[in-house]
Amino acid sequence: MNLGRTQQRIRWVTLAVLVGSAILLTILDATGALTGVMGFVRDPLTYISGWTAARTDAVSDVVAGPRNLNTALEEINRLQAENDALRKENEQLLEAAGEAQILRELFNRAADTPEYRRITADVVGQDTNPILQSMLINKGYDDGVRVGMPVEAARGLVGQVYRVTNNAAQVALLTETASAIPVRLGSTRATGMLRGAGRGALPTIDWIDLQYDVQIGELVTTSGLGGKFPENLVIGRVVDVERNEAELFQRAVVQPAVDFTTVEIVFVVTEFNTINTDIFDEEP
Amino acid sequence: MPKHIFVAIPLMAVLAVLHTSVLAQIPVLGAAPQLLFLVALAWGIVRGMEEGLAWAFVAGMFTDLFSLAPLGISALAFMAGVAGPLMIRRALPPHRLLVAMFLAALGTVIYLTVYAVGLRIFGFGIGLGGLAELLPLIGFHAILILPIYLIVDSILRTFRPRRVEF
Repeated sequence: MNLGRTQQRIRWVTLAVLVGSAILLTILDATGALTGVMGFVRDPLTYISGWTAARTDAVSDVVAGPRNLNTALEEINRLQAENDALRKENEQLLEAAGEAQILRELFNRAADTPEYRRITADVVGQDTNPILQSMLINKGYDDGVRVGMPVEAARGLVGQVYRVTNNAAQVALLTETASAIPVRLGSTRATGMLRGAGRGALPTIDWIDLQYDVQIGELVTTSGLGGKFPENLVIGRVVDVERNEAELFQRAVVQPAVDFTTVEIVFVVTEFNTINTDIFDEEP
Repeated sequence: MPKHIFVAIPLMAVLAVLHTSVLAQIPVLGAAPQLLFLVALAWGIVRGMEEGLAWAFVAGMFTDLFSLAPLGISALAFMAGVAGPLMIRRALPPHRLLVAMFLAALGTVIYLTVYAVGLRIFGFGIGLGGLAELLPLIGFHAILILPIYLIVDSILRTFRPRRVEF
């Protein structure tokens, strides 16, 4: 019995001490009196907690991985699609810019010579024969294109319509051997006949009088003689002169101004003012 | 009219359009490969001289539709380029792929020669420099004939098995 009371007393005292200690520590901690002591205890525990938390995160990542991976893959796919769309848009803009540049040059060219009537045509093909040089355009007889009409690009003369169907035409390039164009040199004003030399060779101007001192770099334009081409269409520049005093005439090699491999849009000149040669038809 | 011509006409039409609009604009080593000629030659190697010539004719006609060349020049050149190699084929060793390469190279030389001569007659010319630019075409054709020959051969084996006589 006495033992029982004693035990009960000890229990109550213990409880009171513990509760009292707890309240005391709470008060002391709240007032900051225990900072040093608590730091001494907390630091190693915090370290252990951090290490444990890191391991836990790793395990958590492994467990939650598939969900995050799926999210990441979806994000990658979305970004990839967005990137593809932007690339496509960029290519379209570049294409449009290139086309606008071509059209601007053609417009400027048309503005220089408003007296000509022209048809704009797209280049849709090249010659299928490896030896010949021509291009196929998407305008033909129904559009007013006829055999022999001059064809020019923004930078200069391309050639001449060689064959026409209802909706297309074959244009012989001025570099083709079948081509012969009356030309004039820019500074010396000498005239001659530009003949194509075929694949792998530059066209040459024949029949230039020896009295002219032809210079390399001179501009070559159409002379308009013969009435098949208008005057002053740019052809190219002289890159070489073959002069032999023993001959009656000299020759000049010409680099065309137009890069025929990159031409996309051309003008077919349907009407132009020809040089009046009626004086030669009158009887003396 | 033999049935194979009904295959040749649409196929060559498609190839000619492809050639003028795509291949001719992206030349390899300065010249675009003549797919039409190679297909005709491959057909000739597999099916014999007669059918090869018919295919070469059709190929040449379609080629000239998109060219300055007078209609028929390419047909002549292609037929010469197919007939010449096939005539000497029996004298060659029986290694079919190497033979196909050799025949393509030889055929290309022949058809380019006939082209040049024929075009010269009609007022179109080509200088030595121009011909030299076309030399890579010979090697290119010799390589390109392999896939074309194998495709044509496998198609024909599938759809037209050879007759075996006992």
